[in-house]
Amino acid sequence: MTEHKNNFQMRDIMGLEITELAVNHPDVLLIDADLHTSTRMTPFKERFPDRFIQVGIAEQNQFGIAAGLASVGFAPFPVTFACFVARKAIDQFAFSICFPQLNVKVPGTYAGVPTSQSGPSHNSFEDLVFMRAIPNLKIADPGDPADLRAVIRTAYETPGPTYFRSIRSALPDIFPADHTFEWGKGVKLREGSDVTLFATGMMTSRCIKAADLLLKDGIYAEVVHLASVKPIDKTLIVESAQRTGCAVTSENGSVLGGFGSAVAEVLAEHYPIPLKRIGVQDMWIQAGLEEDLLIYYRMQPKDITMAARAVLSMKKK
Amino acid sequence: MQLSDEKIKELEEMAYQIRRLSLEMITCGKWGHPGGSFSVAEILSVLYFHFLRVNPKIPDWPERDRFVYSKAHASPALYATLALKGFFPIEDLYTYCQFGGLDGHTDMKRTKGLETSGGSLGMGLSIGVSMALGLRKKELTQTRVYCLIGDGESTAGNIWEATMSAGHYHLDNLTTILDYNRLMAKGYIWEEMGIEPLREKWVAFNWDVTEVDGHDIPSFTDAIYNAKWVMPRGRPILIIAKTVKGKGLEEIEFNPKWHADHPNPEKADQMLRLLAQRYGKPEKGYSRLNQ
Repeated sequence: MTEHKNNFQMRDIMGLEITELAVNHPDVLLIDADLHTSTRMTPFKERFPDRFIQVGIAEQNQFGIAAGLASVGFAPFPVTFACFVARKAIDQFAFSICFPQLNVKVPGTYAGVPTSQSGPSHNSFEDLVFMRAIPNLKIADPGDPADLRAVIRTAYETPGPTYFRSIRSALPDIFPADHTFEWGKGVKLREGSDVTLFATGMMTSRCIKAADLLLKDGIYAEVVHLASVKPIDKTLIVESAQRTGCAVTSENGSVLGGFGSAVAEVLAEHYPIPLKRIGVQDMWIQAGLEEDLLIYYRMQPKDITMAARAVLSMKKK
Repeated sequence: MQLSDEKIKELEEMAYQIRRLSLEMITCGKWGHPGGSFSVAEILSVLYFHFLRVNPKIPDWPERDRFVYSKAHASPALYATLALKGFFPIEDLYTYCQFGGLDGHTDMKRTKGLETSGGSLGMGLSIGVSMALGLRKKELTQTRVYCLIGDGESTAGNIWEATMSAGHYHLDNLTTILDYNRLMAKGYIWEEMGIEPLREKWVAFNWDVTEVDGHDIPSFTDAIYNAKWVMPRGRPILIIAKTVKGKGLEEIEFNPKWHADHPNPEKADQMLRLLAQRYGKPEKGYSRLNQ
């Protein structure tokens, strides 16, 4: 894992990758709801003005418009903040798009805790929770720049609706530039025998740091990155649980019904082990600087190590 | 547009069949919305049996006209129309609301001929708007989009977002028909939420608006013809179709009780007989339910 001071912000990577995708795929359209400078979709607008559709601050219409464009053969990307996909346009997304399995690609930008200083109206903690319950929808939360690029390409190539979320700020590199993404497949980033750290999205790099900290105390933590939140890699989850016997999940969102719940469901049904979940604990997300918020919501590598020690102590001796 | 007497008779017959079949479906399914199904019978008859360029043999023909049925709770009327048009056998109608049969609201993945899925009100016009936008991008200039919305769902914010965007994008290949039957699910529209002045609202959103009797086949035909061929280009068109909810059977006309209700078989038989009489049908064959 490299330091990320020089990396583009994830929102920039999202905007550039969708623009790049559109070069060779004339069916790609972008639908904006007055946020393209924030979501970094301006390169698309400038390069493909005829394929950039502005709807104003009207997310319900934005998703309805995506449905109709998909039904006449386009691959529309309605782009807005994750909180607005989840709270404002959920019926249009679920019913007009996912129910008839229309080919709409939905980025959830500004996902989770690190969302400038906007506060509860703009910080999405529930998007994964809501999306997980929608049939026909595939969901991804990529962990680094290469992962995000791979997810966008795969999401485009996958027929039907897809949802992929990403944070506003930069992340360190985990994967090489030629990294690929597959639905329902996780990646074991580090082998371990004592505890598994299951992570998705921005929390994966934090879990790697946590594993480094644990190693100093002689605790061997396995790190498993699950960008594909739905479908989730049940095989990898169970295999790892069998090896380590306890686990911590980490996500950039609510632990109620989100990624941690998805892992817990698999484990409860197939291989019950001690488990703790790192993430937003049934709270609204306040305004604040990213690192202050991550300390407040106990999403730091140190918090992950404390959870890991707790589940280790719960393991049957 | 001059319709021959023969054509008018044919369209009236289709409107009758749409009503008859809708009532039979609702009776069999023990669920449904007779009022809203009856109010759109002439609208669907004129669209499907005179204007829409659709072919049941090639339902996916890319250049076909698109019909968006936003008020999908009145699904029996559309299912009946699609069956009469030949998209699927008439017999399928009698599976309405049975497990594995035709859905209570519309599911485009399961029923041939449907362009959209519906049921959650207020969402259809956005889809109609973007179909018009997408078809224009594809340069399918002969293809038109028709969207039928209810007056009740015109209280939803999403309708007005869509209305604004259609005006903004000058979608003259989009014709919206508003079924103005003045009854909502639980009462009269002017009591629940006033939507007037309708014409002025839509004009202010940069639409051209015509008002017409939604049960008068020649007048409604003229309105659709004018929208397609006569009215100036550059603006989407709204046809406010003044209708009577439940039109065709005195007992259910403009009667909130019949927004969502189903008759028992005896009652249905009596209603179907009355309906047939109103259309001057012979005593025999007024219902398939008693066969």
